[in-house]
Amino acid sequence: MLVDAIAAERFRLLRDRSALFWGFVFAPLVGFFLNIGGDLFLRGVIKRPMPGITVDLTGQVLKALGEGASVMAALFLMIGAASVLAGDYRWETWRLRTPRNSRLNLLAAKLIVIGEALLWTLVLTVVLTLAAAVIGAGINSKAIVLSATGSGLGQVAGVFLVTWLEAMSLVALAACVAVVARSPMAAVVVCLIVRFVESILASTLGTLAPTPTWKSLLIPAYDADLLRAFVGAPSHAGLDAGPAGWALLALIGWIAVLTAGAIVLFQRQDLTRE
Amino acid sequence: MSIALEATGLTKTYGAVRALDDFSIAVPTGGVFGVLGPNGAGKSTLFRIALGLVRPTSGSARLFGAPAGDLAALRRIGAMIETPRYPPYLTARDTLRMLALESGCHDADINGWLERVGLGGAADRPTSGFSVGMKQRLGLAAAFFTRPELVILDEPTSGMDPAGIQEIRALILDLAQREGVTIILASHQLEEVKRVCDRVVILSRGKIAAEGAVDALTAGQARLRIVASPIAQVLATLGDKGQADGEDAALAHIRREETPALIRSLVEAGVEITEARWRDADLEGVYLKTLEQTPQDQAPQDQTGTI
Repeated sequence: MLVDAIAAERFRLLRDRSALFWGFVFAPLVGFFLNIGGDLFLRGVIKRPMPGITVDLTGQVLKALGEGASVMAALFLMIGAASVLAGDYRWETWRLRTPRNSRLNLLAAKLIVIGEALLWTLVLTVVLTLAAAVIGAGINSKAIVLSATGSGLGQVAGVFLVTWLEAMSLVALAACVAVVARSPMAAVVVCLIVRFVESILASTLGTLAPTPTWKSLLIPAYDADLLRAFVGAPSHAGLDAGPAGWALLALIGWIAVLTAGAIVLFQRQDLTRE
Repeated sequence: MSIALEATGLTKTYGAVRALDDFSIAVPTGGVFGVLGPNGAGKSTLFRIALGLVRPTSGSARLFGAPAGDLAALRRIGAMIETPRYPPYLTARDTLRMLALESGCHDADINGWLERVGLGGAADRPTSGFSVGMKQRLGLAAAFFTRPELVILDEPTSGMDPAGIQEIRALILDLAQREGVTIILASHQLEEVKRVCDRVVILSRGKIAAEGAVDALTAGQARLRIVASPIAQVLATLGDKGQADGEDAALAHIRREETPALIRSLVEAGVEITEARWRDADLEGVYLKTLEQTPQDQAPQDQTGTI
């Protein structure tokens, strides 16, 4: 049963404190301390309160969520995801596990548990960003506003979902690489390179050809940027929903294709050596 | 009698190497079934196919009538394949908890089984610090704790001390005899196999070299061992029924009723006999003789490493 496999995988990840910390907690923590550090530095340099400047809580959260699948964030996410996805190859424990549940359930459970952990990472990012904003406002005597640009909870939820989808497209790729290479390191390195190339292409295409083409829509990072721009834009901006819809389909398509690929490869794989 | 494990025309090749070659067998439920064979004979490959870890090149394996890898059938079996390994950050108790969750076996007696395999005191220690013997014990607990009807054990006592081997042997016999669990056991420890198995199959180069009840395989294999001088005279008298056994002894392949005549003829030939004793055939003798009769020059190198 899939629920049994998910329960086992969740139990295992909760016991793997190293993967849990580096993969899913470290990046939001770094963001928090960098924000606080920045505010302290500002306070030290300027040496006086800045009463005229405001802190836009929603804007800060949207910005932090937007960076939730950046190359740096992806590095740490891949460390956590790879130890879940390729841990059974690394520790040679498939022989212990595959006779107890179906391969489909076992791999699907890994992806679901990583998706779940990623949700918590993004929630932690939101909480720590808000905490850092409030603390930073206190340090520099800035005024706090809920939303300076009229952005609302819906936009935060939208960007949250887009970033989660973008990160899950990388996780699905990591699943394919982990199954083929049987190595956590390969999954981390390949996904990081892909993410880096994607981000370069997305920013280049975003600048050179602002109108999406089918080629640009094949780049998950481009799709995510497009979707975030659409979801995060003020309601009065009146952006065309067409390209965003295609971008959403493309992003979901990548996740589906890569997940299906990983599952098909794993189901046909001989576990003679793990 | 129902069949626990059935293989039909099973072939598995790794490149040019045939780990299993048109292998067929039917293991009935009940008792302990031994699988013997040298490294590379195909034992672990057979088990891995049965458990759905490896796909056969051709042929099929069935567990309780269901195809290999069938989830419902797998839930009726337990297995320990080669030296078990565990995620190093999990304790012994957590390892069994994780496996219980995965098997959907929420009422498994984890503590009871840790005690039963002698790991009660190490239950909350990470498995990264376990010795090979402790890992084997945990592997046995993992194989048995879901109360399976069939258990496949690949070298279950490898790396254990003599007391541990005896303990595990008693556990296997107890489970087979009192709880009716069918056990398929692969081992290089022939004495262990002889003591616990009802039937054995000897594999060589992916094929069956011999199969049958342990008593039937060893019957008619007893030898008369003669320590005498000069031993050359003994061997000359025995002709093709004799075989040197060290520098001062010979093994006579004769019937028991021929013993007095042989002793008489040796004494008449001037041979000084120090000792003449019938040596019962052991499984090791049968095993070695069977393998001698099977060409080994191209024994497959199994990629699992420890067949």
